[in-house]
Amino acid sequence: MATSSLPKADLTSSGRPVFLPNEIECSILSSVDLECDDIPNFPLLKSGLLILTTHRLLWLPDNNPSSSAAAAAAAVALPLSFVTHIFSTKKSVKTLFHSPRVRFQASLDPSKSVVMTAVMRGKGDTDAFLAKFWENWRARAWENDVQTQTQAQTAVGSSSVSGSGPASGSGGFYTREGAVRMVGVSGILRKEQEMWESTDKSLQEAFQDLNALMSKAKEMVILAEKMRQKLLSGSSSKSSATNDDEVGSKEEMQDWMLSVGIVSPVTKESAGALYHQQLSRQLADYVRIPLERAGGMINLIDVYCLFNRARGTELISPDDLLRACSLWEKFDVPVMLRKFDSGVMVIQNKSHSDEEVFARIKALVTNPDTLRTGISASDAAMTLGIAPGMAKEHLLTAESKGLLCRDISPDGFRFYVNLFPEISTDDVYLVKDYGIYNTWVRVASASRILGWSECRIKDPKPCLGHI
Amino acid sequence: MRRRPGIGGLQTAAAARDQYRLVGENVAKIRTDMMKEQLATFRSQLEEFARKHKNDIRKNPAFRSQFHEMCAKVGVDPLASNKGFWAELLGIGDFYYELGVQIVEICLATRPHNGGLINLQELCILLCQRKSDREAVSEDDCLRAISKLKVLGSGFEVISVGKKKLVRSVPTELNKDHNEILELAQAQGYVTVEEVERRLSWTSGRAIDALDTLLDEGLAMIDDGHRDGKRRYWFPCVSSNSNPVADT
Repeated sequence: MATSSLPKADLTSSGRPVFLPNEIECSILSSVDLECDDIPNFPLLKSGLLILTTHRLLWLPDNNPSSSAAAAAAAVALPLSFVTHIFSTKKSVKTLFHSPRVRFQASLDPSKSVVMTAVMRGKGDTDAFLAKFWENWRARAWENDVQTQTQAQTAVGSSSVSGSGPASGSGGFYTREGAVRMVGVSGILRKEQEMWESTDKSLQEAFQDLNALMSKAKEMVILAEKMRQKLLSGSSSKSSATNDDEVGSKEEMQDWMLSVGIVSPVTKESAGALYHQQLSRQLADYVRIPLERAGGMINLIDVYCLFNRARGTELISPDDLLRACSLWEKFDVPVMLRKFDSGVMVIQNKSHSDEEVFARIKALVTNPDTLRTGISASDAAMTLGIAPGMAKEHLLTAESKGLLCRDISPDGFRFYVNLFPEISTDDVYLVKDYGIYNTWVRVASASRILGWSECRIKDPKPCLGHI
Repeated sequence: MRRRPGIGGLQTAAAARDQYRLVGENVAKIRTDMMKEQLATFRSQLEEFARKHKNDIRKNPAFRSQFHEMCAKVGVDPLASNKGFWAELLGIGDFYYELGVQIVEICLATRPHNGGLINLQELCILLCQRKSDREAVSEDDCLRAISKLKVLGSGFEVISVGKKKLVRSVPTELNKDHNEILELAQAQGYVTVEEVERRLSWTSGRAIDALDTLLDEGLAMIDDGHRDGKRRYWFPCVSSNSNPVADT
């Protein structure tokens, strides 16, 4: 096996790993080397991020210096299913001087298994990591996935074809009407009765204590889904009670929350010292969809709500959110935090940034009409389709960039295109045959013929000395 | 079923069918009721767990995601801390943070109807509805929770219009209400509060707030001198647009 080493891991644009459907992040350690002496040409994996999930062991390069593209190319993943043995750490004098390390055996190739070593050079609880590693490896979450998939398939099959028998196993608590072909009416009734009782029983069992609920979690999730669908379909076909509608609307809202939900939120517990950094990346990934919906700019407080909802019980505080946002400057992410003078903070797309807005403002102020009359904040607001407050903000920024000139007069606060850059300092009376200055002169003189000869003194437009 | 001839036979068959249908409907109804009951149990149990075992749930990432999924499916709010002694006294703990998330959520949900301006009282009522009568939320709690959001900029604030307290969740920079008023003003060059309320079917708080902001921004001017005694808001920026400066 010459080059076939570890499978590649996909990264998001902000440098977070892309997780598998049910994969959940459990622990993160920084400054970890991954070594393997058994494979020739094993890539140099030095001081990176080691992420343990329920399904895989991921190694990402610490991407401070290099670009995110380079980071994405170097990231590797080892499915836990490949791991055949985890060595327990031997306590000896030698280990006291060494950086702590975790050794395990993995078979990347069916024929041959290799020993790999993760050397933890950074701070972090190695023992806790090892314990988690063991736990996740033993739990074999990836096998459950295959099971639930087939279960879901059979569940879908039975409800749509309605051919299979009544309530079989944990998958079917309720079957559709007509699916139950029993002897006589009493048979049907008995069957119904049994079903309710079994559901009741499993509910009771599951909620005895936390451990019971944990072991039955998957089953309960399926049950919850079943109940919901049944009730929702019932209430939509005959909107009988208002209570149903209320349930429906509430679920719709939460459904939306869940649809953009975060399966594996970064937590202080899993990420440790890397908490804010990882949180920042996750937020950058998450915020893209709400941002698109809001049209490229969204209030930070709205994001606070949405992000926390997506995280479920893993609430973050406003301070954490702010810290995460302010870290964006250091990473290569497509979003940015923007603070207005009024104190309002928003998140916006970098692509939705000033350059694009300036281009539109420029187009607006250089058309023949506005060359003469200028634009106000409200004109800009209407043309750009944004709020006047925002438009004013943009105009002022454009002014500070030298794109516009202001005019404060009894007519209000108006902005004109800045013509000064086109006037050469050698000959202020020279009007070139091209350019916006020329256009302006023509427009202005045309209007002068109409009787508009007044040259306002406060007007900073270059109407110097009556050309 | 054996088929019998004659009209009597038909009638019996029809009666039997009716009977079956009745039983069927009955069963269906009982089933829905049962399910609702079970769902209610499910819900209350989940809520209980969310509150009691919060820390344990947090510690286990795999279970947490499943728990979260359950909550979402049956419509339970997983954010359910109690307002404890310390939370009330010092404002620490998750309670006010959670309340904050819930408040913003309500504001987001009602924004299409009220343009991001909601009466504090109404907000409290909506909040209490969600909290499933376990614990009442006072206006003071709301204010405290909102003050926790201050870190994230001034996009969320409590303003007073008359005696009422309103919560504004849309900052001026992102508020599109002003555009609508400007559009309305284009016809005559001015608007009145009544006109805005009537034409855009807004509440008076929303109209007054938007007009006040436009006034602060220097876009509007007040005219109290008209014969009908109604305050007019003139918009020079709009009117000068419709009849160009050329006529000065």
